Amino acid sequence: MTGTLYLPRDSFVHRLNPLTKISLALACVVAGSTLPTLPMVLGVFVLVLSTMAASARLFVHFLRACFRVIWPFAVSLTIVQGLFSEGTTVLLDLGPFNLKAEGLLSAATLTGRLLVGLGAATLLTLTTRPDLLMHSLVERGLPAQTAYIVVTALQIIPEFRARAQSIIDAQRSRGLETEGSMLSRLRSLFPLVAPLVLGSLMDLEERAIALEARAFTRRGHRTSLLEIPDSTIERIARWGFLLLTGAMVVVRVI
Amino acid sequence: MIEVEDFSFSYAGNPKPALTAIDLLIPPGQVCAIVGANGAGKSTLCFALSGFIPHFYRGTLSGSVRVNGSSLSDIPLSDCAGEVGLVFQNPFNQITGARFTVLEEVAFGLENLGVGRDEILARSQEALAATGLAELADRSPFALSGGQQQRLAIASMLAMRPRVLVLDEPTSQLDPAGTEALFERLDILSSSSDTTIVIAEQKLELVAAFAHRVVVLSGGRVLADGKPREVLTSPALEAHGLRATRYTQVARRLRSAGLARSTLPLPMTLPQAVEFLR
Repeated sequence: MTGTLYLPRDSFVHRLNPLTKISLALACVVAGSTLPTLPMVLGVFVLVLSTMAASARLFVHFLRACFRVIWPFAVSLTIVQGLFSEGTTVLLDLGPFNLKAEGLLSAATLTGRLLVGLGAATLLTLTTRPDLLMHSLVERGLPAQTAYIVVTALQIIPEFRARAQSIIDAQRSRGLETEGSMLSRLRSLFPLVAPLVLGSLMDLEERAIALEARAFTRRGHRTSLLEIPDSTIERIARWGFLLLTGAMVVVRVI
Repeated sequence: MIEVEDFSFSYAGNPKPALTAIDLLIPPGQVCAIVGANGAGKSTLCFALSGFIPHFYRGTLSGSVRVNGSSLSDIPLSDCAGEVGLVFQNPFNQITGARFTVLEEVAFGLENLGVGRDEILARSQEALAATGLAELADRSPFALSGGQQQRLAIASMLAMRPRVLVLDEPTSQLDPAGTEALFERLDILSSSSDTTIVIAEQKLELVAAFAHRVVVLSGGRVLADGKPREVLTSPALEAHGLRATRYTQVARRLRSAGLARSTLPLPMTLPQAVEFLR
């Protein structure tokens, strides 16, 4: 078990070069935040992101993941914008506050913009192996150490959680009260956290040795077992997305 | 090739020396076993032979450790890895976490060394086959059992093909078949590619069967150094917290009770015991 959201499927979206997906995601985020009207913003979500999710055979996963994150924003934006923004079209009179159509529209637009950004990031993480993503960035000059931190964190956090659970079990089997009143829970915190932190610090030393023994800090050319697919079409597409992104920013600024 | 000359070391903050006046010359192709009780200095010696002392663990040292002609304290730790491979005890912490599958984990060291892709694949698969992990190549390294992780740690080092391989109790989690398979592999490695192998190990019956030489450490000093049959059947062994193999113990009792008339030296393995009793 790892801490990644990646879901393997045999699809064209999965096989794309990670850099292509990053530049597409970037273009979508910029489009989502610069396009002027709600239909245009939603158009990006439906026509680009949802279509790609469907062709990656992850449509339901994609929508579910987006919905889970977006609804608290949608609710709070609707309340705040609907009740407090300027406007004349009163839909509902609630005494001191009025629900206004302009407020609802602006809440919907803001939610839409967030949804596009969220959708772009979700599509990228659902369809891209994190190690391939990091490796493609290392090939473009990202330090290998930075990539290592990201990839390891994804794998070690679940291990860390498992270890915390086994420490809890061990301490309970020695009679430590971990349930009950707030005070007894607080009192049990130290014997749980101390071994977890100390144990992890000791592990750190051995892990550093293991990395050194595998020539991790060696300077010079590195190679890779992983092969990252790339093609001329993808390279052209990447430049296209980046140019599009730049153009949208320029238009917006002007 | 390992040359240790009058090497002493004490860890920073601990005045008691961990190793004192060690002299060792281990030629290419030799399998040298380091035996000794807990705390005798085996792990410290393994770290000193692989460059982690003095580069990683600080302390006071004198004397020199040379591997393949170069002094380990003079070359940076990042360059030691190509020369000396180290497998240490805890298998879980030897999983780097940098890769998602067993095959890629083995390949990681080769990627860092800049080996070509085809060769990475060939060498990684060979190392996995040699350690019986070929069928687990696509698994997550964290989904393996302790023994499998230990074999993975060994496979990762084998794939890098260092000219000197140091193993610090690499069989602690292995089953008897896995332990024997490892020793057989080391035997092949030493004879076919002239790899110098140093292995700290408690399982004396396997040491007796496979090592070319045994060094006994106690309190950070070399107490005995010689052929397995001389060292492991010596009556002095037990005084240093080690127990001779069961074959040696039985033969010694038979001899002292006057029941064995053989003039052969005491046996330490089953075939030797059979010959001794014939």
